Amino acid sequence: MSTNEILTPRQKFIAAANRSKILLNKCKNCGHMMLETVIYCEKCYHKNFESTEVDGIGSVETYTIQSVAPEGFEDVESYAWVVFKLDNILLRTSGFLPGIMKPEDLPLKTRVRVVGFNHIHGLVLEKTIQ
Amino acid sequence: MTNKVCILGAGSTKYGKLEEGIIEIALNASASAIESAGISPNQIQAGYISNVFGVADKQVHMAPVIMSNLGLSHVPGLTIESACGSGSIMFREAFANVSAGFYDCLLAVGVEKVTHTGTAQSTTLFSYCSDFFYEGGNGASFPGLFASIARYYMSKFQADETDLASVAVKNHENGVLNPKAHMRKKITIEDVLKSPVVASPLKLYDCCPFSDGASAVILCSEEFAKNSGRPYVEVIGSGRGASPASVQGREDIATIPSTVMAAKQAYKMAGISPSDIDFAEVHDCFTIAEIIDVEDLGFFPKGKAAKAIRDGATSLSGEIPINPSGGLKSKGHPIGATGIGQVVEVFDQFTGKSGQRTVKDAKIALTHNFGATGASAAVHIFKKVE
Repeated sequence: MSTNEILTPRQKFIAAANRSKILLNKCKNCGHMMLETVIYCEKCYHKNFESTEVDGIGSVETYTIQSVAPEGFEDVESYAWVVFKLDNILLRTSGFLPGIMKPEDLPLKTRVRVVGFNHIHGLVLEKTIQ
Repeated sequence: MTNKVCILGAGSTKYGKLEEGIIEIALNASASAIESAGISPNQIQAGYISNVFGVADKQVHMAPVIMSNLGLSHVPGLTIESACGSGSIMFREAFANVSAGFYDCLLAVGVEKVTHTGTAQSTTLFSYCSDFFYEGGNGASFPGLFASIARYYMSKFQADETDLASVAVKNHENGVLNPKAHMRKKITIEDVLKSPVVASPLKLYDCCPFSDGASAVILCSEEFAKNSGRPYVEVIGSGRGASPASVQGREDIATIPSTVMAAKQAYKMAGISPSDIDFAEVHDCFTIAEIIDVEDLGFFPKGKAAKAIRDGATSLSGEIPINPSGGLKSKGHPIGATGIGQVVEVFDQFTGKSGQRTVKDAKIALTHNFGATGASAAVHIFKKVE
């Protein structure tokens, strides 16, 4: 993709994820922070945002390990779908964390980071080294 | 609200794995509701249809097809989709149209047929009801989404897997008494705990089944109901609510904001409080959902429902019976039909058709049904007309 092309909000989010970042929108009117994919401010409904990136690192708030996976994930031996809270900001996002076989592999509050965005598996995570 | 709205007739197919096609299933429930109301089909002025996965049985544009096959091709129909909450959200629109005086009598029918697609494809189809970019697209199935909600709730309120299992055991006890239920089988706590893990911490018996089925009701004005000379039920409250579409976007993952919002509106319209409700049909797609529902509806304080359910407070003879029909868990969950099926249960309870599962002396009932993980929801309150 040429750098001159205008990216959609989701394409920008994916591009940032591929740099291990989460792209956020900061409302220029009220300062509220949201994920890049939201187009009006949830608090004041203005549309003027400043784009900002944060490290895609945070702590697991909840997750699951499934025995029946949806289409596109059948070939993955075992993984967790994870909701994690980003560091230093009151925002969560969700992702795919491969290699998790059982709940003991992923206690709540485990540190995870974004490693990229895969067109089949979405936002791909890994556990960080403690 | 201007005019009072009543339910004059109701009918359901059996829920489960059905052989008929989706249109035939819808027609069977519709005919049952029309006959229950004692009206002639030509008194129906509009058709409201709820359905999600018609495309899986090669049919979209469902409303005119159903109306045509009822012999009512001149009657306008509308199809509404809001994932698992389609039925109640469609009911709300039908209610609003009668209340506003646009129609005196209409048919509301919810229908679904998915079992022929098999577990793998159904799991994929249901994942499309999530906020797919963040959830289904990252590998979350529907049991997985509710499992993540369950893990959060259990951690926050120190609930355990036996608490979840208590919901399943109670709903199966009720479902055994419902001849139209999908899963008419008594189960024990041990059966639930020993059943295979579907999405940790949820096990097979924590999950409702994929079901086929249809439910239909006849809504009408109070004048129309009175003139019929037949038993009817009055709708006294209606509320709609919304939540962030994704689980990650919820301020508190242990509550469903759309339920709270819809319930508040419905209680206000009815002029009553949660303590006035004699029984409720709530959205128990997974056991954790019922625990959260009954707190969000105001029946129990936050974090206290699990113990109350374990102690029998929500059983048929408890202080607030929940899901006397067996709920989604035992009666089944044909997703487009579920919200209307709850209204059918209220009608049957209030008109002497619920047999051994009748809630004694009940006069006020509530239905609660949501779409996906609660992104959309509707709550309705009904009064028995003596």
